[in-house]
Amino acid sequence: MLIGVKFCGGCNPRYDRGKALEAIRQGAKGAAEFVIAEEGTEYDRLLVIGGCTNCCASVDQYTVKGDTIRMWGEDHIDTIINNIKKWGNNI
Amino acid sequence: MALMNGAQYIESLRKLNTKVYLFGEEVKDWVDHPMIRPSIECLAMTYELAHDPQYSDLMTATSNLTGKTVNRFAHLHQSTGDLVKKVKMQRLLGQKTASCFQRCVGMDAFNAVYSTTFEIDKKYGTEYHERFKKYVEYVQENDLTVDGAMTDPKGDRGLAPSQQADPDLFLRIVEKREDGIVVTGAKVHQTGSINSHEHLIMPTIAMTEADKDYAVSFAIQSDVPGLFMVYGRQSCDTRKLEENADVDLGNKKFGGQEALVVFDNVFIPNERVFLCQEYDFAGMLVERFAGYHRQSYGGCKVGVGDVIIGAAALAADYNGAQKASHIKDKLIEMTHLNETLYCCGIACSAEGYPTQAGNYQIDLLLANVCKQNVTRFPYEIVRLAEDIAGGLMVTMPSQKDFKSDLVVGQSGKTIGEWCNKFFAAAPGVSTENRMRILRFLENICLGSSAVGYRTESLHGAGSPQAQRIMIARQGNINQKKELAKAIAGIKE
Repeated sequence: MLIGVKFCGGCNPRYDRGKALEAIRQGAKGAAEFVIAEEGTEYDRLLVIGGCTNCCASVDQYTVKGDTIRMWGEDHIDTIINNIKKWGNNI
Repeated sequence: MALMNGAQYIESLRKLNTKVYLFGEEVKDWVDHPMIRPSIECLAMTYELAHDPQYSDLMTATSNLTGKTVNRFAHLHQSTGDLVKKVKMQRLLGQKTASCFQRCVGMDAFNAVYSTTFEIDKKYGTEYHERFKKYVEYVQENDLTVDGAMTDPKGDRGLAPSQQADPDLFLRIVEKREDGIVVTGAKVHQTGSINSHEHLIMPTIAMTEADKDYAVSFAIQSDVPGLFMVYGRQSCDTRKLEENADVDLGNKKFGGQEALVVFDNVFIPNERVFLCQEYDFAGMLVERFAGYHRQSYGGCKVGVGDVIIGAAALAADYNGAQKASHIKDKLIEMTHLNETLYCCGIACSAEGYPTQAGNYQIDLLLANVCKQNVTRFPYEIVRLAEDIAGGLMVTMPSQKDFKSDLVVGQSGKTIGEWCNKFFAAAPGVSTENRMRILRFLENICLGSSAVGYRTESLHGAGSPQAQRIMIARQGNINQKKELAKAIAGIKE
């Protein structure tokens, strides 16, 4: 599964968003590939990593086949890893 | 041209032949001058973070003029969402530099001149707006830093521009030619002017017909003949000239910058002129620029405040005082004050509105309330930071003393050993780290960075009285009287 990653702009993040992505990447190893989202590329899913509950990143410009997953806290990491593993190749 | 990164920006400055004077002499290699370079590093961050996926959502935007991705500092705001992201970007950069990063004045000037030229053209049939759109495209395409310059020397504050004994105390048109204009005068307190590729000039006050030669707006490259800058020195600035200066600087890498920018008979070609004697629009331009810039302070100063709060908390940890209830309460108060400023910055953005030209303007009342708070709260924040830090932040010996191996006294100890012995505090905390955080607080509270965090908070984007005048105009007291009458049962 190819997951495009979009960070919010990080004006005042309540946790380390970069470390969160690494944790998810490690936890979901083998189940998904994570790349920084770019316009013009199609992704199976989009992971939006927000620094706070507002999770204000712009995402309309990206092409995604499946769901857009949003997180805004470290406590979301395990749920996201579990969901990615559960989804397997089902978009 | 793609977005520049920090290194490319710094190299681009070397290609300019900008005339800079400091301590009565010309500084040829100003890009590498130790007193100037920290301010350049600050601006470089506005370029560098645009390439980092963790920050690019704030640092970049899609141009309404070209559809291309541009640095947000060169963007014309297209929605209230853009206005909010502007404030968030400024908070981010304040956090990353703990300094004034200088590029906001250009962004605020772009948006003010864009909307004002549209309305001038509508009234007078001029072509300023189309000229200005081309100019903004040029800035976006080349990812330039532009000094948005408003403040004139002003001379006798009781007199209008045309009444001054010296007519140059407000920048003015001294000659109109077929192909352009010639201007003379100066702009003072110009933030980041030396580090800017271009200057975008605006009038400083509303004007009457008698002042029409002072009603002028234009853009010009920094190194044209007749344009030069005199660097504005800052408290403790020569510490940056000391050999191996590090700890004593407090903030070694970053800093702010202001300068006197002089125009000595500078020629401006017509395609770069955006206001020329239409004096009745000077006030609109001033009000719009000031509004945007008063919004800006609800972002940048908050980011710097975040670093100060963190430094105060670290100072408490290093002093071993972190568990004291009054320390905790002071950190709460600092956070409350800082986030209140942010609330104002976000509020005036969320309540923004589209101008006739299509770009978005902030809510003027809320932006002025924002800046009015900024004239006060940073002073209380640094007072509390100094309270938490203790007197050592202004009395401790120098970095050289802490490193000195000169044996003194009768016990065979060096100056460094004596200093490290007597300035040790909480267990496990190095004396050097304690020095570093206290020197940071010294620098921001009363050293070179206090220029940006204190006095700039007071006078930048207009002194407190300027906001109070705007609050009086926008406050809608009559509507409030009607509300009171309705509740109190007054029928008249």
